[in-house]
Amino acid sequence: MSFLEIDNVCLGYGPPSHRYEVLENTNLSVEENEFIAIIGFSGSGKSTVISLLAGLVSPDQGEIRLKGKTAHEPGPDRGVVFQNYSLLPWLSVYGNIDLAVRQVFPEMPRSEKRDYIQRYIDLVSLTNSEWKKPHELSGGMRQRLSLARTLSMQPEVLLLDEPLSALDALTRAVLQDEIIRIWEEDRRTVVMVTNDVDEAVLMADRIVALTPGPKATLGRSFPVELSRPRDRATLNFNPEFKQLRNEVTNYLMTINQEAKELRVSDELVLPDIQPIEFSAA
Amino acid sequence: MPTPTDTVSSSETEVKTDAPSEGVEEPVKQGRGKAVKYAIIKCIDFTGLTFLTPIVRLCTGEEVDKQLKKIGQYIVVPALAIVVFLLTWSWIAPKHKTKSGEVPTPTVVWDAAQNIWTFHEREGFKEAAYNLDNPRREAFLQAVDKRIAVLKPVEQQVNAVVEQVRLDSESAVAREVDPIVKEHEELKAKFAADAAVREKTLADKAKLLDATDEQARAEYFAAVREHLDQSEVEEEELSLLLAEADEIRRGSNSELKAALATQTKVAEEMQYLRKMKDLLSRANRNVRLASAEDQLRLQEATFLEKTSPEDRYLQARGIASSQQRIDRMAEAEYAKPWTLPMQVYRSVACVFCGFLLGTIIAVPIGVLCGLSSTFMAAMTPFIALFKPVSPIVWLPIALIVVGGFIPDPDKHWLITLLAELPLIGWFKINPAFMACAITVALCSLWATMVNTAFGVASIDKDHLNVAAVLRLGFWDRLTKIIIPSALPLIFAGMRISLGVGWMVLIAAELLSSSEGIGKYVWDQFNNGGSDSFAKMIVVVFVVGFVGLILDRIMIVFQRLVSFDESPSVV
Repeated sequence: MSFLEIDNVCLGYGPPSHRYEVLENTNLSVEENEFIAIIGFSGSGKSTVISLLAGLVSPDQGEIRLKGKTAHEPGPDRGVVFQNYSLLPWLSVYGNIDLAVRQVFPEMPRSEKRDYIQRYIDLVSLTNSEWKKPHELSGGMRQRLSLARTLSMQPEVLLLDEPLSALDALTRAVLQDEIIRIWEEDRRTVVMVTNDVDEAVLMADRIVALTPGPKATLGRSFPVELSRPRDRATLNFNPEFKQLRNEVTNYLMTINQEAKELRVSDELVLPDIQPIEFSAA
Repeated sequence: MPTPTDTVSSSETEVKTDAPSEGVEEPVKQGRGKAVKYAIIKCIDFTGLTFLTPIVRLCTGEEVDKQLKKIGQYIVVPALAIVVFLLTWSWIAPKHKTKSGEVPTPTVVWDAAQNIWTFHEREGFKEAAYNLDNPRREAFLQAVDKRIAVLKPVEQQVNAVVEQVRLDSESAVAREVDPIVKEHEELKAKFAADAAVREKTLADKAKLLDATDEQARAEYFAAVREHLDQSEVEEEELSLLLAEADEIRRGSNSELKAALATQTKVAEEMQYLRKMKDLLSRANRNVRLASAEDQLRLQEATFLEKTSPEDRYLQARGIASSQQRIDRMAEAEYAKPWTLPMQVYRSVACVFCGFLLGTIIAVPIGVLCGLSSTFMAAMTPFIALFKPVSPIVWLPIALIVVGGFIPDPDKHWLITLLAELPLIGWFKINPAFMACAITVALCSLWATMVNTAFGVASIDKDHLNVAAVLRLGFWDRLTKIIIPSALPLIFAGMRISLGVGWMVLIAAELLSSSEGIGKYVWDQFNNGGSDSFAKMIVVVFVVGFVGLILDRIMIVFQRLVSFDESPSVV
């Protein structure tokens, strides 16, 4: 039995007349302390997978199981880092983390809590920004804060919903390294959604492709056997890395092509007419 | 009035002289100066007085040209607009004559404002004089006597001047009017004579008229009509002449007006001084107490002399009633009339009472509406139905309802309790005050309610996700996520509410005769004094100014709870 499981899950939105099936017969099993990257095209339902795992939406059919128990409700055991940070703008850096800590560890004494929160602020290199409000932080800093808030809840599973896609390339690289560093310090089960193949190969133990929606499902999975720590500078010349990257990319292109062919064309056939020129007459 | 170019050149020279000294200063000091500057700018921004920012920046010599341009745009242009407004006003106002005299010009309004203030100050002095104790009372009495002595000849002089000016002006008017009157009389006589001649001819004609001849008859009728028409024309001419004479008589004589104004002023001061003298001597509380106590002692002495039981009883009754009188006297306050500044305080207090009441009702209901669409559906008919109801309708209802709770205001426990409280007692809260506050609440709570509901309903989905992931309970979700996130909109609604409440209040006070700005306007409208019209216009500016201050206060609060940098308020 796996640590975290998606078992034959179907999920759709909308009324029965024009129902949009997002996921169909989706299966995934994640081992403990495994770093999984789910990769797919935008609009294929990647965020829905994270919402399902987080318990923010319940599946129509099938089951989500954490350690063998059904987990259809959200809870602090599964921490989510949202794509758009989801920080509370009226609270400071400290306040945002404090809210989570207070809720998850209500018994923690005051003095201990201060040190505890400070530790997470330091962990994501936000030292000296404790009392800044989110709008005073850069995008990268906001995502660090979001990460710190989630980590401070000490979740058993860390769910990352395209955490880096709103950032510029440089900040992105820095944060990728940071997430890897934190993960290596304190190994946890991680499910990360991304649309960047390089990012997936660099960070994950296993890459799972999501077929394009509607009726998306998790397709082939690619184990990444590159040794850690992975160095982004040398990785580009590593044949194994290059091969894996090409393999994943090609697979994604193929399933995308198939999906396009399968899709019923709903384009309107336009009548073949030309405008008449009146000015000459 | 300095032209824009004037200000530009003068400020530029200032900056030039400043610039070198700034360079000499040590960098530390400069750094601190900068911090101070940014703190000031932040404060200005916070209170929404952004038009002051360029001045602060200019004082530190930052981008001089740009700041001057901004000053020109945001300070000089509005100032010019005000000047244009005042000039247009003083030009147009005298052209319209009303029953209450000419429409007052800015100068007249300014004088009225000063009169209002003088009246307020004098009432304060009178109250103080009434309560003053002995050594200082004597000193003040002497000062007042001295001032009366100074003023007395002035008063006589002024009266003489007014008399002289009046005679002069009357004779001047007479000089102009007399020829017209004469002409009028001559014309009248002439017209009467003409009419008599015409009538005689017509009578003669009638004798000769052959009544059977249709044409002759018609001609005769036409002649009579012509005669009547002629008389009408003549009458018209006469009345025109009379109107001309009246116009001259009524015509404003600026010299006389000025003399009368001075006379009024002196007379008012004299009256005030006489009253002061009275309050410092005979009517003074301590003087009255002292004399009453003297009398009491006398009565007590007489009591000892009395021997028969009946006399003793009668004397004792007299003593008891004297004691009662002394007790009442010791408690009695100077009967100070409400002056405009006092009425402004009371109005502000009333609007805040109503506003608080409205907010206390609106915010919880708004939150519930935002949380539950079912509750919203239940509330929608009420919001839609009651929102457009005018304060004029709410007020009588509120008066009746409050009157039902407090049938006898003088003896009701709540009113006596409120009257005894420090600070609040000053406002003399009565049922009319409560009805006004309730009307303000009923009219102003809708904006807050709708905004609160909208703010709560439109909470960011992400924030709710955070709440879900953290498994916050209902109460925590409400207090830690929903309310903070809706606060900026709630305060925006409260700001609108306060503005509406202030407008509603003036009308409510006017109708309910609850002491306040509205009552002041109503009194001025009814008493029809020479400067009532001007005083009403003063009130226009007072109401506008207080409203502006209230709005600014709300802006500051709104900024305090806003978490985004967005300049949501202007």
